Amino acid sequence: MSKPTILIYDLGGCEGCPLSIMRVYPQLINIADVYTKCLGKVDLDREYDYAVVTGPICINSPKHVEELKKIRKNSRVLIAYGSCASVGGIILYARGGQEPRPEHRVYAPISRVVRVDYAIPGCPPAPQMLISLLNCIRRGKGYFLDLFRAVALNPKLSGFDLMDEVVLNGLCVGCGACVLSCPTNALQMIDNRPDLIPEKCIRCGTCTVRCPRFSQILIQRSRLLQKASSLSRISGV
Amino acid sequence: MAYQPVVIDPENPLGYYTGIYLAQTADERVKRKLGPDYKGGGAVTSILLYLVEHGVVDAVVVARRKKGLYGETIIAKTPEEILEATGPKWSIVPYTLGLREKLTSMDVGRVAFVGLPCQAQFLRQVKMFPLMESDFSKKIYLIISLFCMGTFAVESFLNYIKKSYHVSPDEIENISINGDELVVKHVRGEIRIPIRDALFHLQHGCLTCPDYTGLFADLSAGKALKPGFTLLITRTKLADKIVREASNTGYLKLSEPDEESLKIVIEKAREKIMRSYKYLSTVL
Repeated sequence: MSKPTILIYDLGGCEGCPLSIMRVYPQLINIADVYTKCLGKVDLDREYDYAVVTGPICINSPKHVEELKKIRKNSRVLIAYGSCASVGGIILYARGGQEPRPEHRVYAPISRVVRVDYAIPGCPPAPQMLISLLNCIRRGKGYFLDLFRAVALNPKLSGFDLMDEVVLNGLCVGCGACVLSCPTNALQMIDNRPDLIPEKCIRCGTCTVRCPRFSQILIQRSRLLQKASSLSRISGV
Repeated sequence: MAYQPVVIDPENPLGYYTGIYLAQTADERVKRKLGPDYKGGGAVTSILLYLVEHGVVDAVVVARRKKGLYGETIIAKTPEEILEATGPKWSIVPYTLGLREKLTSMDVGRVAFVGLPCQAQFLRQVKMFPLMESDFSKKIYLIISLFCMGTFAVESFLNYIKKSYHVSPDEIENISINGDELVVKHVRGEIRIPIRDALFHLQHGCLTCPDYTGLFADLSAGKALKPGFTLLITRTKLADKIVREASNTGYLKLSEPDEESLKIVIEKAREKIMRSYKYLSTVL
């Protein structure tokens, strides 16, 4: 069987995600035919089995928007990789005033522009993540795949959402998963419940997919959304 | 890495598994620690003792009761520390920041984790999909989940005991389950609370949780119907091997599960999934 083709494409950002992916190239080339700028071959006009996009989309840049749309058209599975591409991440805080004056509306998760199949938060995701994910997608089912598919449909995830949806709603059981996941120690356990230090949250979304309650809510909501969209297609709304 | 698709399905409430055993401790230290009145099997403690004493893992993460319903997670490296954490805790003991720091700084390679189904789900995700460089994925060797029908909202439950039975939290020495009653031993005697009354003080998050046995764990364990026995569900080859080895080296006695015990576990697992559907629909 021939190896699947995979395109790895960076839309910009801090370069943490491309660096993280670069570290698994030695393993990745064993399981897939890799197309990326770093290995000197990128061709947006051919078809790919998987496309992995890192970095947020800049709405002000028609060139990048066009590129992203082309990638979507030419790939069978599109993966938004890393917090910026999947849920917005720290780039959501861009508010003008800095050079080159990015504003809130300018940078967005790529699901704002195209349909995304799987969205992986993480700032940046650990190198091994990509290999596990590709292996899982190849086998095609399971709770965590459902979860990453659900993240693609609901790109609003951060420590603030964790507080709103789970902790303040009284659904938190106090397992401590979010606290152990937070890369910036923005969450701490106080009286057996997580508490958010707002200034420290970089909106990477890791805590939300690690929370057993939130992940369950996300999956159920995505099922409802899919049902609603198929219903509206039938009734022609 | 072993691949294990976890699908939560009321038709198949025990999920994917490789074996089910009835187990009983064969270790004198565990028997002595549990005492003659204890209705569980002590199998998890025995497996942990095997893992540490035979050098399969460097440490185990377990919860220990501090006082009353409060507990703490500890990284146990010696049999004495493991024995000290034996027995039920009656509340969820959260993983905290200190645990991550200790795990990453400590000189330990392989660690076995004992937790509840929600914690097993988190650990499985960390192991399979390391979202963060700071994750301790490589250190997670074995995930053991205990059966869980829900945990108490500690404050609310203690307040209820105080208001209705006039026992203050400091006086509680032990809580055990006996048929349909919770038996709370305190310094002045004991009280018996019908489980039906105590259920009101379960955490809301637990009501929406569909996982009774710990579908994400390598090994699930819980009290069997038969007194003095633990029901073990192995979900990976690794867990199967460990259980057999523990039995071969004289830590455990294994036997075939009886039909009644199996029936009850399946029933309870299905009940929890259906309960979660009911409550989840109200919070979406």
